[in-house]
Amino acid sequence: MLNSNRIALGLLGVALPLALLAALVSGPVSIDLAAALRDSWRGESSEAVILWQLRLPRALLAILVGAALGMGGAAMQGLLRNPLAEPALLGVSSGAALAAILLLYYGLAWQSGWWLPLLAIGGAFVAVLSVWALAGRGASASRLVLAGVAINAFLSALMALALNYAPSMFAMQEIVFWLLGSLANRGWDQLLLALPFIIAGGLLLFASRNYLRALTLGEASAASLGFGGRRHPLLLLLGIAAAVGAAVAVAGTIGFIGLVVPHLMRPLVGQDPARLLWASALCGALLLLLADIFVLNFVGAQELRIGAVTAFIGAPFFFWLIVSARRGGAL
Amino acid sequence: MMEPERSANVACRELCLERQGQRVLDNLSCAFHPGELTAVIGPNGAGKSSLLQLLAGVLNASAGEVSINEQPLADFSPAARARLCAYLPQSEVPAWSVSAADLVALGLLPWGRLKDREERVRRALGKVGGADFAQRAVTRLSGGELRRVQLARLLVGEAPLLIADEPTAALDIRHQLQLLQTLRGIADSGKTVILALHDLSLAARFCDRVILLDEGRLRAQGTPRDVFTPAMIGDVYGVSCEFRWRDGEPEFVVFDLI
Repeated sequence: MLNSNRIALGLLGVALPLALLAALVSGPVSIDLAAALRDSWRGESSEAVILWQLRLPRALLAILVGAALGMGGAAMQGLLRNPLAEPALLGVSSGAALAAILLLYYGLAWQSGWWLPLLAIGGAFVAVLSVWALAGRGASASRLVLAGVAINAFLSALMALALNYAPSMFAMQEIVFWLLGSLANRGWDQLLLALPFIIAGGLLLFASRNYLRALTLGEASAASLGFGGRRHPLLLLLGIAAAVGAAVAVAGTIGFIGLVVPHLMRPLVGQDPARLLWASALCGALLLLLADIFVLNFVGAQELRIGAVTAFIGAPFFFWLIVSARRGGAL
Repeated sequence: MMEPERSANVACRELCLERQGQRVLDNLSCAFHPGELTAVIGPNGAGKSSLLQLLAGVLNASAGEVSINEQPLADFSPAARARLCAYLPQSEVPAWSVSAADLVALGLLPWGRLKDREERVRRALGKVGGADFAQRAVTRLSGGELRRVQLARLLVGEAPLLIADEPTAALDIRHQLQLLQTLRGIADSGKTVILALHDLSLAARFCDRVILLDEGRLRAQGTPRDVFTPAMIGDVYGVSCEFRWRDGEPEFVVFDLI
């Protein structure tokens, strides 16, 4: 297993910097990367500004958000012991989205750039804690999912209501575009805001790795191995809420990355849910960066939203999953 | 670091368990000692699995107490309890297709990092005759092979208290005998071994003590010879039977429905 681990790490380690370079030279204005780097020492040039203020933060944000979604997906699949689980399943994304929508609805979002992401992260935490409280003591995976479905349905109803009574076409458009997810017009502010939450979330997930391993055997056996009680699932859920909530807060709801990435990594690093955490973080970062490069190079009258691109990655993936399951592969 | 405690005297006192208003276990008191292989027997729904879960600390009693070496189970930290007591539930379906060796290694989680992890895993798999499929994915194992790998997971930590819920289910006759012989040897090495068993002939042959449950109550406990009387077994299971000795070995035979 160690060998294929190294191969996966090597592949991702080579691909990620290459994709970063590609992202830095992608965009409506073509810049000379070497010249821009030289200029940035000397002073202001438009190329240096584009590189340092627009492209680099955007590319780094893609990496950060992708990593958060990837490891969030791996953690959720491990927690629920279900390969079809995704980070949004227990309300993280819709909690963050509803908070953001309410701000957009009342037109408060642009008064300060910090309000929306901060409240969205708060929304993610509230949603996840509600799911956890609703599932109750000794909650099994199926009860958690059921609680997640209930909370998600409730939040979706509130979102539909907000859209229904949107005060203006402009507000409605804002909301819809936000829901589609985007990395456009994000800068260092958003990056620095999301970073501590995503790092904290990642640390919580990393600290939960042995719990995820033990859960391979089911809840009763995990409890007998010392991973019983409510503390372990709570810490894991808080980790998911911090990482994925922050990702949604700065980039909107970007689907499918968290669902697809662990599946892409299992053939490479094996099915151990702990090993999948870091592998999925790296792969999620790469995948979202590639999706954003596609967005940047897409020529059209309207900005192509990255959420639409990841959905186009996600849908064929399901077809592939069905085909491979019909051929007798493990789902 | 391995736990210094190498033996486990287990006692439960007036255990009660209620589930959804229904009494699953009623005022149960019994004890389990090092070096003994004890079978918990009884008809379906008698409360065998529940008792085992209470003993393993996976479930909390509604009333009463389980103690290990005269210390209440609730006083142990989860990790310390896990180092003292290994538990194998009736059915344990691995969620992910890890290798057999990786599955066995999960039994070492309560100990944290161990230098001789691989050596321990190898030894445990050897004990159940599973060295050949150490690197095979668990989804590619047969039911019997998987059960043996799970048994290796139970044994790998060398906990002083081993609890297994119907470990012989899904095993063919040969592997049933092999497994009971392995567990017998482990009990003889000074460990406390508790099994839920449906096969009374196996219980008669291999176990030192038998605990007979019926509808959540303790009906009888003692040596197989004391408990397996035609009257007692007839009353609880509704079958006619005989406990006899053949070539110095105990033998339990079921005849027919009563």
